[in-house]
Amino acid sequence: MPKSLYDVIVIGTGAGGGMAIKTLCDAGLKVCALNAGRKLEPAKDFRNHRMPWEMKYRSFGDPQTPANGPDFTQNEYVEGVWEREIAYTTAPGTHWMWPRCYAVGGKTNFWGRSSARFGDIDFKAASRDGSDTDWPVSYDEIAPYYTRVERMIGVASTVQNRPSNPDGSYLPPFNFRCLDRILQKGAEKAGVPYLPDRIAQLTLPHDGHPPCHFCGNCTSGCDVGAFFSTPWFLLPKAEASGNLELRTNALVRSIVVDDAGQASGVAYIDRHTRQENEVYGRAIVVAASCLETARIMLNSKSRHWPTGIANSSGQLGRNLCDHLYGVSASGYLPQLLGQPSFPDNVGDNSISWMPRWQNLRDAHEESFVRGYSVYPDGGCSEFPSYQDQIEGFGSFFKREMKRRYPTPVSFMVQAPSLRSDSNYVDIDPQVKDSYGIPAARIHFQWGQNELKMWEHSKQVCAEVLRAAGGILEYSGEQPESPGYSLHETGTCRMGNDAQRFVTNRFGQTNDVANLYACDASIFLNCTDKSTTLSILAFSLRTSEYIVQQFRQGNH
Amino acid sequence: MGGQGVERREVLRILTIAAAAATFPGFSKWSFACGHLSNAIMHVKPATYRPLFFGASEYALVERLTDIIIPRDATPGALDAGVAEFIDLMVSRDSELQRDFRAGLTWLNTRSVKAQGKQFLLLLPARQVELLEPLAYKAKFRTGEEPGREFFQLLREYTVMGFYTSEIGLKELDYPGLKFYGASPSCPHQDDPEHLHLPPPQW
Repeated sequence: MPKSLYDVIVIGTGAGGGMAIKTLCDAGLKVCALNAGRKLEPAKDFRNHRMPWEMKYRSFGDPQTPANGPDFTQNEYVEGVWEREIAYTTAPGTHWMWPRCYAVGGKTNFWGRSSARFGDIDFKAASRDGSDTDWPVSYDEIAPYYTRVERMIGVASTVQNRPSNPDGSYLPPFNFRCLDRILQKGAEKAGVPYLPDRIAQLTLPHDGHPPCHFCGNCTSGCDVGAFFSTPWFLLPKAEASGNLELRTNALVRSIVVDDAGQASGVAYIDRHTRQENEVYGRAIVVAASCLETARIMLNSKSRHWPTGIANSSGQLGRNLCDHLYGVSASGYLPQLLGQPSFPDNVGDNSISWMPRWQNLRDAHEESFVRGYSVYPDGGCSEFPSYQDQIEGFGSFFKREMKRRYPTPVSFMVQAPSLRSDSNYVDIDPQVKDSYGIPAARIHFQWGQNELKMWEHSKQVCAEVLRAAGGILEYSGEQPESPGYSLHETGTCRMGNDAQRFVTNRFGQTNDVANLYACDASIFLNCTDKSTTLSILAFSLRTSEYIVQQFRQGNH
Repeated sequence: MGGQGVERREVLRILTIAAAAATFPGFSKWSFACGHLSNAIMHVKPATYRPLFFGASEYALVERLTDIIIPRDATPGALDAGVAEFIDLMVSRDSELQRDFRAGLTWLNTRSVKAQGKQFLLLLPARQVELLEPLAYKAKFRTGEEPGREFFQLLREYTVMGFYTSEIGLKELDYPGLKFYGASPSCPHQDDPEHLHLPPPQW
């Protein structure tokens, strides 16, 4: 293979990688993008418009292949697009779910689309409550990037003037459905906000993309590209520049260094031929999502970097945070019993949110620090999953199933974990994946702070439901297992102190000037908001910094 | 209501792929993957279904039980939707399900012979219902029937899965999804935020 030299090699094509690829290509840099999986074919791989009876196992999937991940990654709609055999191990006592999508675009093909900005309440949380460290970036500094990202991807919402949620520039919001209006009344009585979520789903045509047609099956992928994903929104632009070479089925083993310990290329395995290849670049961007990014860097050992590349701080792989997810309450709205069905399932059921309302005035109002948000969800969905709530059989049962159809509601909690020394990823000394690459080993437990949020949310959501005239049938017992949210952060945190942080305030590794991280690995922690919009904003900022470094002759 | 629901599938007809259809086992009562793409498939006459896992008498029992759980009344039921075929397919793919179903069907017949002197299928419908009620309603639970209750729960779960993922089942619910809507559907009861004055329930 000829030894050609690219300007930048980008590992990963998800939110972080996709934004880097597009930004770098636009600036005229020659980019080689490595992606672990194949390109999806929308007409074939996005089965979002199929009815369940059009699939062999009616969407449940073959019982012979038991699920080993969250429902939305393991059903017949998305068969073959999420990986089933990711090798990773967990430390004793850790239960970590690690769903991976290796397809081009990664998780952006199927993401939840909730797109709230982080604010100074998040970036300066440590100063407010004394826990951990502030981010090295202020809201004022990142705000213009959020604005540009919102314009690129199209976010539907309203200006809400919430202290925890800086407002942005929005397309018209999703309309409230019956269940939203009923729950909103309940939330009002309980003193909790209930507002349109911030959804990267187009309510108007936007930048050449068609508007959403509200069919509902979004987490199976959108075959018309009416919500943001990198294959629909960013990669075509990068390809049009003529500056991108995308290599698919290229599973990265490690980053290669030169005699000075600087990054010179990337070693990867072609998953078809199982051949190992190397590709060379002046700068490297790792954007494989935070655990995989850490695994690649930890596996990049050399004379210069005996514990993994750019790990002089010893913090590589450390400070893993995650969103605690779980249904904290569910039940039904008797007002809607026996009413006609209604197209509630327009964004996989969740179009509204209860944005963080805790610890706003004072950082210590509650028994926990920071805060969480809640996504209410419900109405007529594709499958009536409330059968356990109805006894018996026969015509009565059948009628009750129908009467109940518009009524179910549930509350999904999104609570950030606090940084902890005991939550991290390292390399398993014994286990390798089927390509011979040493596997990641995950160490993670929920901490008291997030478990207190979980308990708190159970009380409040039950109260909102009751105040709305609803019937509470289930009060969350266990949150989902860690990893379920796919919102992990940390492992390459950014900071001003090179001894304590892997990357600097631009996502550039402190040790290796031509190595950057462009995913949530650089985040100091999770917040109550989803991660993708912020990954895009920070990746845009880092990518423009890289362009500047090239212009200044530093790479 | 928001928007008129043009059948999205119609529009997508040309986009979708029919490949899988030919390889499926012989379902007789429900159309399968993208059947609407092929007229030939649409016009196949219902054949007698040959179970993949269950023996003939077991299959007849499963079919009868699904019929009792979701009967044909004013609207079609489990028999019309071919739910037993779905259950047979799912069970044929999972040894644990096979064990549980076989044991459950045997339990039910044994119970039936003991209580009524005949196998379940030979009983009058009213007697069949009498046997099932203590398995299905808390107030009627009897000690010693735990295995029967567990089986009934499993059977009902699979019946619900099979029925409400069939075309007939989703029509029963009037499933409003997977259609084109021109605007984000909006609550039609603007004057009644708490929804306390809705028209009387239709069902």
